[in-house]
Amino acid sequence: METLLTRHLDATTPLNLAAYQAIGGYCSLSAAFDLKPEKIIETVEAADLRGRGGAGFSCGLKWRLRGADAPSPRYLICNLDESEPGTFKDRYLLYGGPHQIIEAVIVSAYALQAERAFIFVRGEYAKGGHSLNQAIQEAETAGLLGSSICGSGFNLQIEVHLSGGRYICGEETAQINAIEGKRPNPRPKIPRPSTHGLWGQPTTTNNVETLVNIPHILLNGADWFRSLGVNGGCGPKLFCVSGKVRHSGLFELPCGTPAGELIFEHAGGLDEGRTLLGFLPGGASTAFLLPEHLDLPMDFDPVAKAGSRLGTGSLIVLDNSTCPVEFTLNLMRFFARESCGFCTPCRDGLPYLAQILTAIASGEGHADDLALLDELCATVASQSFCAFAPGAVMPLISSIQCFHTHYEQHVTNGHCPFDTTTQGERQP
Amino acid sequence: MNTFEVLQKNLAHLSRTHPRRRAAAVPAMQNLQAELGYLDDMAITKLAQITGLSTTELEELATFYSLIYRRPPGRHVVQICDSVCCNMRGADQLLESAEKYLHRPLGAITPNGALSVLPSICLGLCDKAPAALVDGEALGPLNNASLEALLQRLQKGD
Repeated sequence: METLLTRHLDATTPLNLAAYQAIGGYCSLSAAFDLKPEKIIETVEAADLRGRGGAGFSCGLKWRLRGADAPSPRYLICNLDESEPGTFKDRYLLYGGPHQIIEAVIVSAYALQAERAFIFVRGEYAKGGHSLNQAIQEAETAGLLGSSICGSGFNLQIEVHLSGGRYICGEETAQINAIEGKRPNPRPKIPRPSTHGLWGQPTTTNNVETLVNIPHILLNGADWFRSLGVNGGCGPKLFCVSGKVRHSGLFELPCGTPAGELIFEHAGGLDEGRTLLGFLPGGASTAFLLPEHLDLPMDFDPVAKAGSRLGTGSLIVLDNSTCPVEFTLNLMRFFARESCGFCTPCRDGLPYLAQILTAIASGEGHADDLALLDELCATVASQSFCAFAPGAVMPLISSIQCFHTHYEQHVTNGHCPFDTTTQGERQP
Repeated sequence: MNTFEVLQKNLAHLSRTHPRRRAAAVPAMQNLQAELGYLDDMAITKLAQITGLSTTELEELATFYSLIYRRPPGRHVVQICDSVCCNMRGADQLLESAEKYLHRPLGAITPNGALSVLPSICLGLCDKAPAALVDGEALGPLNNASLEALLQRLQKGD
C-alpha cells in the first residue's frame, strides 16, 4: 500500500510551509471551506474513522454528538501526549511533519466550528513542540491561521500546550484540567467534555493520528478511505512494533493487517532460534495475545473479540527469552508510579499489586498470591475513578491467565525459571 | 537578569496568550525553569504573585509534573527510559551502570554540577531501545560502553 500519513515525514528536515504546499499540503482547506461543516462530519462518520488514541470511538459520531448548536466558544484539542509504553507513532508525526498536523487541525476545527484549538504535546517531545510552534507561525504569516482563513470567514487560533510530563495527562479530562492550569486529575465523565469541557465550554478531543486522516477523507471521500483497510478495517493505521523483534519500527499499513504479518514480515521476526511467547497488541494497558492470534486482523473489533484492545496499535513482542512475570512487573511499576493519586483504589492498589508481583518475580511469592492478585485486580478495576486502573490491571490479569505456568514456577521453585544474566540473553 | 525580571518578561508574553491567568501557570514554570534550571522557593512565591494562585496550588502543580524540577539538576540532564521495551533491551543495566560510573544514586548531581541522570517513563523511543533523552535529544540504542562514553563527555563539559 502506498503510504498516506507517513509519506512525507522527515524528522531530520521536516517540510517547511512552501515545500509542504508544493506536495499538495493545505489543499484540503479549500475543499473543506466549500462544504458545510455538517457535511464534513457526515463524510467522516461514513468513513468509519475510529479514534487512533486507544479508545477506538467513531470520530464522526463523536463530532456529531457534540452538536452543531453547541454554544461558543468551542474548543478542539489535538492529543499528542503520547506516553503509552510501546507507542511512538505520534512522535513520528510531530517531528516529521508539523504542517500535516496543522492542516488536519484546521479542517477538523472548521468541521466542529471551533475557534480555538490546542495541541497538547508531551513534555518529552519539547523539541518537536518547538518545531510545531514555528510551523504555526509560518501558517499564521501565510494567512492559513487567524482571522477569516483564506477568506472563508472562519477564524482559528492554534496553541501548543507543552505538558509538564505525566502519563495521566493523555486522559481526555485530565488533559482539560492540565490546559486550564489545574492539577491534572481526570474529571467525572458527567457532564461530558463535549458540552462542559475546557472552561465549561464544548470541547472535542482527538488523537493526532485520528486527525491527520481527516484531510485525506475530505479530498478523496469516505468510500475511498474505507477501501484502504483490509479484513474489515477502515483506512490506514500507524502500527508500532517493538520488543523482541529484529526491526522495531513504525509501519503504516492497512487497518486490519494481521498481527503475524506485522511481526514476521515488517518487523523482521524474532532473533534466530527464538519462538514467540506472546504480544501486547495496543500498548502497555492491553491484554496479552498469544501465538494462536497471529492471524488476527489488527483492527478494533477483532482484537476486542479476542479479549484485548487494539489500543494505540503498538505491538510489544515477547519471545521465549522474556520472563513474562518480570515483563508484567515492569508494567505494574510503571502504572503504580503514574497513578495520579486522586482515588485510593488506584493510588494504593497499584503499588500493592506491584509489591506482590515483585515478591513473585524474585521467587519469594506465596502459593495464595495469585488468588490475591486476581482479587485485588478486580477491586482496583471496579472501584477506581477513571479508566487508568482498569487499563493498568488488564495486562496483569491476562498475564496470569496466559502465562499461569510461569507464575506457578516462580512460586513453587522459589526463583525465576529464566537465567538471571541479562534478560536479552536468557533461556528458559 | 534576576528572577523577578525573568518572570516579568515571561508574563508579558503569557498574559497575552493566557487570558485566564491560572492557565499560564505551567507555561510560566517551564519558561522560568528554562532560565533558572529549576524552581526555587523564591520562584514559586513570585509565580504566585503573577498567576494569582497560592503557593500551595503552585506546589501542587510543580510536584505533580515530572519535568518540573524543585531541586537543581545538573547542567546536562540524561533521562534513561526504564519502561518495558527499554527494560527488555537492558535499561536496568544502563541505570545501574550510570550509578556505578558516577558513584552516586540516580537524581544526584555530579560534584562539578555538570550532570544528573534520571530514570524516566517511556520516552516514545521504543524503536531505539534502550534509549535516553540527553538534554531533550533522543539517543539510542545505548549500551554500557556508549553510555559511559556519553557520561564522561558530559561530565567534562564538552
